Amino acid sequence: MTTEATVHPTTGRVAKSRKTLLGYVPMISPFYAYHPATRLILFLFLGVIPLFIFIPEVNMLLLLVNLALLRWGRIDIKRLKMYMPVIFTVAIFMFTVVILAPGNDPRYTPLDLFGKTIYYQPVFFTFGAYWRLIAMLFGTILYFSTNRERDLLVGLRALRLPFVASYVVGLSIRSSGMFMEDFRTIREAEQARGLDTKAMRFSDQVKLYMMYLIPLFSIALRRADEISNALFARGYTLTGRTSTGEPRQDYIRSIYSYSKRDYVAIAIMVGIFVVTALAQILFGVFAIENSPLNIYLRQALGIPF
Amino acid sequence: MKNLITVQELDFVYPDGTPALFDINLEVGEKEFIALIGQNGSGKTTFSKCLNGLFKPTKGNVFVDDLDTRDKGIIKQLVTKVGYVFQNPDHQLFNRNVWSEIAYGPKNIGLSKDDVKERVIEAAQVAGVHEGIFDTHPYFLDKGLRQRVAIASILAMRPKTIIVDEPTTGQDVRQSIEVMNFLQHLREEGHTIIIITHEMRIVADYAERTVVLGQGRKLLDGPTREIFAQPDILEQTFVEPPQITQLGQALVKKGLPNDVLTVEEMKAAFKK
Amino acid sequence: MEAAVVFKDLEWRYEHRKSFALNGINLEIKKNDFIGVVGANEHGKTTLVSAISGLVPHSYNGIYKGSVDVFGERVFDSDALQLATNVGIVFSDPEAQFTAMTVEEELAFGLENMGFDLSKIKERIDWAAEITLIQDLLDKSPYDISGGQKQRVAIACVLAMNPPIIIMDEPTSMIDPLGKNLIFDILRRLKEAGEHTLIVVEHNVEQLAPLADKMLLMYEGLVDRYLPTREFFSDPDYLQNRGVLAPESTEFSQWLISEGALPAITDLPLDLAGGIEATRQALKKR
Repeated sequence: MTTEATVHPTTGRVAKSRKTLLGYVPMISPFYAYHPATRLILFLFLGVIPLFIFIPEVNMLLLLVNLALLRWGRIDIKRLKMYMPVIFTVAIFMFTVVILAPGNDPRYTPLDLFGKTIYYQPVFFTFGAYWRLIAMLFGTILYFSTNRERDLLVGLRALRLPFVASYVVGLSIRSSGMFMEDFRTIREAEQARGLDTKAMRFSDQVKLYMMYLIPLFSIALRRADEISNALFARGYTLTGRTSTGEPRQDYIRSIYSYSKRDYVAIAIMVGIFVVTALAQILFGVFAIENSPLNIYLRQALGIPF
Repeated sequence: MKNLITVQELDFVYPDGTPALFDINLEVGEKEFIALIGQNGSGKTTFSKCLNGLFKPTKGNVFVDDLDTRDKGIIKQLVTKVGYVFQNPDHQLFNRNVWSEIAYGPKNIGLSKDDVKERVIEAAQVAGVHEGIFDTHPYFLDKGLRQRVAIASILAMRPKTIIVDEPTTGQDVRQSIEVMNFLQHLREEGHTIIIITHEMRIVADYAERTVVLGQGRKLLDGPTREIFAQPDILEQTFVEPPQITQLGQALVKKGLPNDVLTVEEMKAAFKK
Repeated sequence: MEAAVVFKDLEWRYEHRKSFALNGINLEIKKNDFIGVVGANEHGKTTLVSAISGLVPHSYNGIYKGSVDVFGERVFDSDALQLATNVGIVFSDPEAQFTAMTVEEELAFGLENMGFDLSKIKERIDWAAEITLIQDLLDKSPYDISGGQKQRVAIACVLAMNPPIIIMDEPTSMIDPLGKNLIFDILRRLKEAGEHTLIVVEHNVEQLAPLADKMLLMYEGLVDRYLPTREFFSDPDYLQNRGVLAPESTEFSQWLISEGALPAITDLPLDLAGGIEATRQALKKR
């Protein structure tokens, strides 16, 4: 990974981060000292472990760990602003649903809040579920803020994903990039034909998105022909056979190597994961009943266990 | 004569902070044929999109007729004054057949059914789109025909000014001449044509006025002949005059003119 | 000298078209020649080169008659790998040719397909990047680089596989002038090195003509003219009829010769420098 700064041609500004399909990654970061496979394992770790944890406080702690890692990894916090809408929308959505449709269980305890009856257990459960989701979300954000598409593909191949599958993933990523460019141009073309999206009814706006599909598909179909010709010209056969009969090398993966810190990091992550999973499955250590907040609230509201 | 478009001290900065245009001033009159040239990244496309309200100025103003492009909700009026034909017709064709494609613009601006029909027939005729293909899906037409349908769909709104992005890219000689002659014909019918292009031969043959952009600034603006006679300024934006012009410029000391635009002119100049 | 490509009575009709795209091609392309292919659109230029690279018939459905041999091997009977080893092709759309995540990956892809070992792959990548001047771009993503740069990457990918025949189908049609110049510079260097047979389809005759040993005019699915470049441009009116404009210097010099201002035995200039020299001589004569 280059550590040289990229100087913008017109402004002379030095770029601190570079754009990838799914976000921004910093130019320099301590994360890059780790092998892409290690970083992918971190993603799986931070993304999956919350599934075993039902105690909101622990997930909040996990979130703090995530944020600390983001800070340590030199990610530009400003770039994360784009995730704010998602976080709030999800909270509003989840809590609205649980308040309006809590489900029917005679063991639920009704509480009177601002004149409305809400049921404690489903609400607290949703609270727990929400923080689990957020912890998983930030695990994903951390991954896509510290890995370029190439790192993802190398990581997948290092974890034994076959080349064809990795190539398909790569092509999909690349195609969505091209798709988004075309989408932008098509929107401009529609505006140039008098389309004023701000003045439209919602139902018309939805119809509009259907209409975008027509040119997007025309362009994609035409391009698919060209892409397949380009692949043909590079001697690509889906069987993975090579022209000399020798096994196919993985040049890009060969550039990366594992170091001691990779082994240590992987060992720690696998260790914590196994311990946590077993603790929950066998002993229910992270069950929602063990949440201090839950215990406190139930005591304060007089809800029996 | 009143200006169709007036640009005053235009600055444009992209939403992500990248500045693109600096202090551009320009006036576009009626029945002009203007070429907009400059290297990639000079701001040609960005500037042209400021002219029809697709982009709004960060500083300064763009007035189309008496409308200020900065005003809200003005898009429907602007498109009846400035039409924009994109480089790749596929980006502009999103209706299920040629008829609805050409009718799309007029419908959007709220014309009556009869008016829409009239506009479609008129535009199709002018653009050379015959009614036999009104029911065809644009995807199945060849590239030249798709371009015509795209142009017809813009003409249907009867804009006085028409901006065409790279009209001759990928075309062969005959197709290029056809498109350019067609644009010239539109100009004679009363439109102002602005083309964005890299092909200097086309500029020399068709555009009477050329505007040169370099690094977001206007470098030159004037009759094409005068513009091509300043190769040192054109160099700043990686533009070269047509080969025959350069030939004359290399032999100025031997008496050849420095501003020929075509081989025919060079032949005439040599004879003297 | 050995024949790189031999066409014998080749005919081809695409599946859903009514007429034949190629109506009986008989052609021999010499090894290490630089051939410029010109002509109006839809007259068979792309189909001709596709028949050499093997896209016709392996990637399209249609009717195939006659034969094409590349270094003695029949294209019809070869598979994709054999074809890619012998013939490299660069297309006109820089976007569609870039399918990897970074330039380096793009270059490595074709080489991995060839089955080379890691050190050879690295060697080829460095060599191809040097010729196409993309050494600084190796780590970049497709949206960090311009169309012209992407096209140079496409050329580097083909060069890295080092096929003896390199075809380029309108490589500069979607590229800006600066990018065009850089690409023609690469073609010039390849021509001077003299190690590849180069077949370039272009509308930009002005920059193509000075490089080509022979020019080939396609008209209605047939090889209409196939001559050494200077001979090819000796009849500009005929060419214009067929949709080909000679470089302006060439056209003007042709006129000088026809007016007697230049001796008829003059080598017809194909570029600006040649045109300036010829005009200078003609002025002196006056």
